[in-house]
Amino acid sequence: MTDLAWLTIAEAAELLRGRKLSPVEYAKALIARVEKHDRKLNAFLRFTPDLALEDARRAEAEITRGAWRGPLHGVPYGLKDIVDYAGLPTTAHSKILQDNVATADAAVAAKLKAAGGVFMGKLSTHEFATGGPSFDLPWPPARNPWNRDHFCGGSSSGAGAATAAGFVPAAIGTDTGGSVRNPASMCGIAGMKATYGLVSRRGVIPLAYSLDHVGPLTRTVRDNALMLDLIASHDPLDPGSVEHAAGGYTAELGRGVKGLRIGVIRHFYTHDMKADPEVAAGIEAAIRKLAELGAEVREIQTAPLGEYNACNRTILTSEAFALHEKWMRERPQDYGALARERIMAGAFVRAADYINATRLRRKMADAFHALFSGIDVAVTASSMDPPCRIDDPKTIEYTYGRQARAVFNITGGPALSVPAGFNEAGLPLGMQIVGKPYGEAMVYRVAHAYEQATDWVKRHPPLA
Amino acid sequence: MSDDNLSLDDIRRMAAEIGLSRLTDGHLQELLRATRTARARRAALPFANLVPADEPAHVFRLEPDR
Repeated sequence: MTDLAWLTIAEAAELLRGRKLSPVEYAKALIARVEKHDRKLNAFLRFTPDLALEDARRAEAEITRGAWRGPLHGVPYGLKDIVDYAGLPTTAHSKILQDNVATADAAVAAKLKAAGGVFMGKLSTHEFATGGPSFDLPWPPARNPWNRDHFCGGSSSGAGAATAAGFVPAAIGTDTGGSVRNPASMCGIAGMKATYGLVSRRGVIPLAYSLDHVGPLTRTVRDNALMLDLIASHDPLDPGSVEHAAGGYTAELGRGVKGLRIGVIRHFYTHDMKADPEVAAGIEAAIRKLAELGAEVREIQTAPLGEYNACNRTILTSEAFALHEKWMRERPQDYGALARERIMAGAFVRAADYINATRLRRKMADAFHALFSGIDVAVTASSMDPPCRIDDPKTIEYTYGRQARAVFNITGGPALSVPAGFNEAGLPLGMQIVGKPYGEAMVYRVAHAYEQATDWVKRHPPLA
Repeated sequence: MSDDNLSLDDIRRMAAEIGLSRLTDGHLQELLRATRTARARRAALPFANLVPADEPAHVFRLEPDR
């Protein structure tokens, strides 16, 4: 049998449903892997093997009596530790909330429980989904499984590290300025920020209300679509939730890209912000591959990357500071330095500037989405740089904002980061595939075609 | 809105005015850097292109069945 660590959800589901694999044995194998390797990676902030075995035994009993719930039944997963799981602390990786025990499940946690998933624990994050990687918090930062001396991205850092390391086949992260797609890019996996409002944020500690998205990280595109199928739906208790038919995200997989129109936003990574040569080469090779597969590739232009990023940060820091102001007054010393500085950037943003940034946001989003009259998806960079060393704060600071992800928190449409190869040092590179609002199935279709034409997902980090 | 002259004493006074009275000198240095960065970002935004009809991205609305 395949090494259980590298089973995809789709493969595991087939084995579990056919009773060729026991959920308990599967969970035990991944628990042993976490116990062996996670001391070096810190992907889990709170590892819960007892809960995992409880879920696995329940799944085994249900599947044995023929009550298979669907593709996640008996499959392990983890949650970023800003997502509530009833009975466990939701710490946001912060001293401020280290005793904050959740009394109810977040909407997304409830959905994964209902799907019969095996909960493995809470995953490391940057403090309050913004401050990291930090060494001045109660828990250490997650590290990159491809080289533990390197940054694994964030803020859904543990979700990226755990999924890439084979600790879980899927994890839930959140994305306000790119925090699902950054670790996906740095860890060589797939991370989706779906259309704003498609996945409920209820029970998730906010960073910035109007930009926050909940999304899945997986090793394959198909698994990502399966996870989005499970977690996307209208939630009347989330004011940002949309009443839009969700699901069917695997429907277009396997249809290829022949005849599809792909717009390349090249100026983001060649002009507005010059990407590292290996990153740029990886994206260009991917674009050539998509053309070889039959896509019609054309270059498109949108607003400069700096405008999108400035708009994102103006809105993000304003909303975040509003949320944190009380704690900043009373307990500033209980934050790590990075979170404190990044959140305090909103302290003196004028109300008029915040409102104008949201006005600009609508204008930018409308203009961007108009481009889709001539294309089916867009492709661009994710990170401009490969993962840097985690103990190099100057380079972390320099590379932190060198990304083209926050753009799509502003526009609100779907954006998926997928692997686009490796650099000479063996570290993963990523790129984004971007769709029109509610165009997730098309994004997955293109990503899947590219994934099938490359061997990136067959490579796994060598955990010594 | 130039911040070339924004000093640590300025930021200390501004912080006190909004109740951030427990910040240490180190925290105030962070706030000074953060404020300068935020204002540089604001300066990069093309607000001059907005017209009165450009509404905020999120406006209040009520569902008809509530």
